[in-house]
Amino acid sequence: MNTIHYLTDPTLRDLFLPGVITGLAIAIMCAGLSVLVVLKRLAFVGQGISHAAFGGAGVVATLGWMSAAGAVSLGAFGIVFGFCLFAALAIGWLSLKGKTEADTAIGIVLVASMALGAILLTRAAHLHGSSRGVSWESFLFGSMDGISWTDAALGWGSAGIVLFSLWFFRRPMVFWAFDPVVARAMGVREPVMSLVLMTLLALATVTAMKLAGVVLATAMLVLPGACALLFSRRWSVVLWLALLIALAGVVGGLVLGFEADWPTGPSIVVVLAAVFAAGRVYSFLQSRRAASSPTPAALQ
Amino acid sequence: MPDPAVQFQHVTFAYPGAAQALADVTLDVATGACLGVLGPNGGGKSTLLKLALGLLNPTRGVVRVLGHSPREAAARGLIGYVPQRSGAEQAFPLSVRQVVEMGPALRLSPWRTLTQGDHQAVDAALAAVGATSIASKHVGSLSGGQFQRVQIARALASRPKLLLLDEPTVGIDVAGQQQFADLLNRLRHDFGITVMVVSHDIRTVASGCDRIACLSRTLHSHVAPEGLTPGVLAEVFRHDVAAIFGDLHVDAHSAEACTGHHHAPATPVQISIPSKPTQGASPP
Repeated sequence: MNTIHYLTDPTLRDLFLPGVITGLAIAIMCAGLSVLVVLKRLAFVGQGISHAAFGGAGVVATLGWMSAAGAVSLGAFGIVFGFCLFAALAIGWLSLKGKTEADTAIGIVLVASMALGAILLTRAAHLHGSSRGVSWESFLFGSMDGISWTDAALGWGSAGIVLFSLWFFRRPMVFWAFDPVVARAMGVREPVMSLVLMTLLALATVTAMKLAGVVLATAMLVLPGACALLFSRRWSVVLWLALLIALAGVVGGLVLGFEADWPTGPSIVVVLAAVFAAGRVYSFLQSRRAASSPTPAALQ
Repeated sequence: MPDPAVQFQHVTFAYPGAAQALADVTLDVATGACLGVLGPNGGGKSTLLKLALGLLNPTRGVVRVLGHSPREAAARGLIGYVPQRSGAEQAFPLSVRQVVEMGPALRLSPWRTLTQGDHQAVDAALAAVGATSIASKHVGSLSGGQFQRVQIARALASRPKLLLLDEPTVGIDVAGQQQFADLLNRLRHDFGITVMVVSHDIRTVASGCDRIACLSRTLHSHVAPEGLTPGVLAEVFRHDVAAIFGDLHVDAHSAEACTGHHHAPATPVQISIPSKPTQGASPP
């Protein structure tokens, strides 16, 4: 069993355990957000934000902070988070003000960030040489290798901030997400709600990027909620299901990665996608059963 | 005499780059009254409500709601609102009861939960709109009329002093409109709420409200329902009223002339609603 070996061998444990601990924080953090992301149709917004991280990663690589740890890693986290937050606010501002259609705004931010990141990462390779570990694959698809205990602490700190914020703003946030027109009329401040949600999405994206990469970070913000909504129509059940599915996706993906020697980010997404496919089948069978069962009128 | 619940004083409003939607509207809504605002599409009715809610600011003039600015009144939870088109995302995994509870819950601090009084207000609101039996249903499974009632219940459950309803009977059949008119009467008598109903549907406002304002960019009249005249309605709707409301019984009376601000046609009209709905008709 590779998984047991990875987590018990003293050398490998120090290498991989921070990644496992961080993965659990990401699962918990993204579960709550994913329900709102799916219901408010923000999946493409998540794509825009996560790809903005690529530009931030380019800046970090140019500064030569890419493979450093400890306090320097904190600075790198801040820079990438800043890029994601800027992208989130730009998307929110452009679409809220009606200056640009939301999908156009996201598309522009997405490609601009990717282009900036590509240029800066290429320059960083020239400036610092390949020894500074500028790996495009790890940015795009995530990696367990570079995750330190500092990253794990940042991951749990971010999870704490996200969960507390969701709890604190739960009433105006859910009202606004459910019925924005009436929420505004009843005194809910839409710009505040939008700012809070976009900031939390940026924070979750930066944290998830470590493990799942720029391309796959969005999966953590979409699939748990999308899966949970296939299984239940009760709010509390959906939230708990999203949490369980996110945890199962991370743990299952890590085990799959360890056992099959696959990259962890794609492994996590494959597991979550399999749960979604199972949910679709379950949902289809439920609707078939409901359609074939006799109606109350027919029973009379 | 108590202060009016809502005051529009010489209010003018224009959307950016567009003609004036409202021009010099002065209108008071007495506390505890039900005012129906009648007018054609594009006549400024919804704009009037948005000004009362503080969603828009007047270009000129002043709006006061329950002694506050509209935004302050909204922030204090004094206003309930049911919009013309619901922007609600009915795929949310919420029950009817959870949606209605959103009203009172919005005023609570994050550390507090709904009180017994809040739960009683939710029960009363559900009962008032006849939605008690569907309280546990998923909100996505409701018809348009049922969801409209749930929205009214949510507004009532927050115990507002003023309820603003924007085209509440759109898409509701004649039977449902009559039930809605009855609901308006109950709101005033049982809940003591001041109500403003915006509609282009003369039946609803004529039978459910005690005052009617005819609005088409300017305020044409502000009278009791029996004071409506074909002349005023024709002026406001810019059409032959009989052609629009052919199923209404518009009977000329020799009662005193309409006391509208701009028009005083000679023959006030009495508007009666068509006969009671047949049994089995669907509720709103």
